[in-house]
Amino acid sequence: MPAAAIGRGGAGRPGPSPGARAGWALALLAALLPPAAAAGAPPVSAGAGERLYRLGLLPSGRPLRGEREGGAGVDGPDAACATCHRRSGLGSWEGQTVIPPIIGRYLFRPGARNVEDVNLPHVQGYVPHREPYTDASLARAIREGRDREGRRLGILMPRYRLDAATMASLIAYLKRLTVGPVPGVTSDTLHFATVVTPDADPVARRGMLDVLEQFFADKNGGYRGESPPLRSPRGVMYRVNRKWQLHVWVLSGPPETWERQLLDRLAREPVFAVVSGIGGATWAPVHRFCEHAAVPCLLPNVDLPVVAEQDFYPIYFSKGVLLEAQLVARQLQAGGPALRRVVQVFRKGDVGEGAARALQAQLAATGLEGVARAVGSGPAGPALAAALAGTGAGDAVVLWLRPGDLKALPAPPPGSAVYLSGLMGKLEEAPLPAAWRGIARMTYPFDLPEQRRVRMNFPLGWFSVQHIPVVDERVQTDTYLACVILSETLGHMLDSFVRDYLVERVEAMLSHRLVNGYYPRLGLAPGQRFASKGGYVVHFAQPTGARLLPDTGWVAP
Amino acid sequence: MRAPRKIAAALAAAGLLASLPAQARAEEAADPHAHHHQMMMSMKRATRSTADYALPAIDLVRDDGKTVSLPAELDDGKPVVLNFIFTTCTTICPMMTQVFARLQERLGPERDRVHMVSISIDPEQDTPARLAAYARKFHAGPQWRYYTGSTEASVAAQRAFDVYRGDKMDHTPVTFLRAAPGRRWVRIDGFASADELAEALHELVAAR
Ligand code: HEC
Repeated sequence: MPAAAIGRGGAGRPGPSPGARAGWALALLAALLPPAAAAGAPPVSAGAGERLYRLGLLPSGRPLRGEREGGAGVDGPDAACATCHRRSGLGSWEGQTVIPPIIGRYLFRPGARNVEDVNLPHVQGYVPHREPYTDASLARAIREGRDREGRRLGILMPRYRLDAATMASLIAYLKRLTVGPVPGVTSDTLHFATVVTPDADPVARRGMLDVLEQFFADKNGGYRGESPPLRSPRGVMYRVNRKWQLHVWVLSGPPETWERQLLDRLAREPVFAVVSGIGGATWAPVHRFCEHAAVPCLLPNVDLPVVAEQDFYPIYFSKGVLLEAQLVARQLQAGGPALRRVVQVFRKGDVGEGAARALQAQLAATGLEGVARAVGSGPAGPALAAALAGTGAGDAVVLWLRPGDLKALPAPPPGSAVYLSGLMGKLEEAPLPAAWRGIARMTYPFDLPEQRRVRMNFPLGWFSVQHIPVVDERVQTDTYLACVILSETLGHMLDSFVRDYLVERVEAMLSHRLVNGYYPRLGLAPGQRFASKGGYVVHFAQPTGARLLPDTGWVAP
Repeated sequence: MRAPRKIAAALAAAGLLASLPAQARAEEAADPHAHHHQMMMSMKRATRSTADYALPAIDLVRDDGKTVSLPAELDDGKPVVLNFIFTTCTTICPMMTQVFARLQERLGPERDRVHMVSISIDPEQDTPARLAAYARKFHAGPQWRYYTGSTEASVAAQRAFDVYRGDKMDHTPVTFLRAAPGRRWVRIDGFASADELAEALHELVAAR
């Protein structure tokens, strides 16, 4: 293969060779080799094309510049081809604006349709029955904005003054982009993994796996063996019938070893994507694995995700306890002159520690005094009393505690405002002692129970039909939702199994969904990696029972 | 598209002969195609219509964090140029925003007499702080403000201007101009250039 070893996640990433596909891909690759390379001319720099495409950087390190009419030029990252044509090179669309695919497989072939070639992924922007581009006419398109037939390209497509060497490396990159076998996809099976960390809650973990296993079984219920490709209503050929196979990757040992374990699993059991999953105190090693191995990791059950929205492959439901910290910070800022100090109580090594740190950082900007206290070891009652010692009027107490600790709380400090993490405390089921219930405000990063009731009929009805015991409603609903989102997105993609494209399609389609379990709405975009962005602050309506009353509207901090 | 005849009639009825601001005049004089720049200029990549939009009494949050009423904000007496964007949009919005940035340049000192308005259609993501950063990236002057708010408020604003397409990913490029409170809106569907917008604005102001 020519210079296929480019940066992580790029074209030609290593993967297994599911027989026929690999052979076909190699043949195509050979056919696409520029004559110069074949004739042993100096090889063009692979990394340069990728940097230009992805980051908008010229080989000199200077920002790429694209010109557009009326002075609306673009620079650097805004000029990067990936900004519009996307990382996969398969394009996109926004309203009526279609951004065509620009990988070599489309540009350099005579207007084939995928009807003639089932292996050509179907993408929205591809116009069949056209002349193929040549290196020269493609360079003209990029420099002068004229397509293969000499027609002027739309105003959005910038014109780039690139020298010959830079142009060659860009075109070479386009030829290599999104070719090659797709790991985890065979002619009859799609392989997915889910990840379980050793510190995940055992009950929630069982609940999640029940949902996943049943969803996959259900999906395969209609499988009748390998079938010839079908034609979709849009005239696209695809295979309806592929089994879904789930690989449960259970991690062990300390977090420092998880990334290595995951890479080993991936090498042994290639998967197309990771769906759902469940974590405990940290998910960072799994996040790193997804990003480094270029595997989409869709919507795991984690309360403390990694906030790195420039990363591409990991996608989360929300910022979890970090979102709650933002909600609390907003409340505290409006806390009035009586508020002098914020005392946070957390358990070392639990997700609350990260939340407390985040809130502490936000408080620093407000001038409020902040203290974060870890609950000591030993029996919960006295340890919590020690953590709360000396609190009273003028203080706001923020509890990042699990139900076990909430149950054991001593008498509340007199005159303090009290906030508690709904996510950690189990939302409306939080077992707060009576004296705390009356004064505590709870962050609630979901839609309110009353408002989501009708929507919840979908997952709950499915659990009941499938005889799945509901042991952790929220985790199981999120798991079900992750499966449905994956299934719908793949349905739309027909046979275009490209990992980057899966992420791009989830990004583009997610906000179209209307029924989203615990969430009022979900939405992503390039550079957005948290689908639900807000929450409420609530308090208990009565001394007993689960009824909540909101103190705020839905707030996206 | 909206009936072009109505526009022609509306503009003809206004009977304007532009007392264009100095800068625009100077450019016209130097422009060999100045005769094209007459009032009913046609736009290269956009179509123009007029409409009355009833502004709903909703609150939006401005890029400085202040909660403001949409009608009050738009009825500040100045001519308004308005669009809908979101900051993580990679294709259409940066283009529209750049056109606004060029427009503000093109208007020069005149710009302070205009109110430029960009309303987010992804309000939960586009917090005031994110909008302020976006505004800085495009060197927005004090006359160009960005607005967010609740999802409901953003949708209500989009519906009021008949641009709501159900989802942020389905949006289309549209710009709105209005000479003064109570006047009709000019709606420009497509990519108008900064020059075309400046031109349209001058016509409207002259007709006021
Ligand atoms: C700001 C968005 C944007 C950026 C950045 C961008 N493009 Fe495009 N490009 C488009 C749009 C929109 C079209 C479709 C134009 C049309 O259909 O008239 C297009 C069309 C093309 C085409 C023509 C495809 C065909 O089927 O005829 C090629 C080739 C192309 N772009 C290559 C590139 C390359 C290479 C880069 C980076 C150096 C790039 N583009 C950057 C928006 C963009």
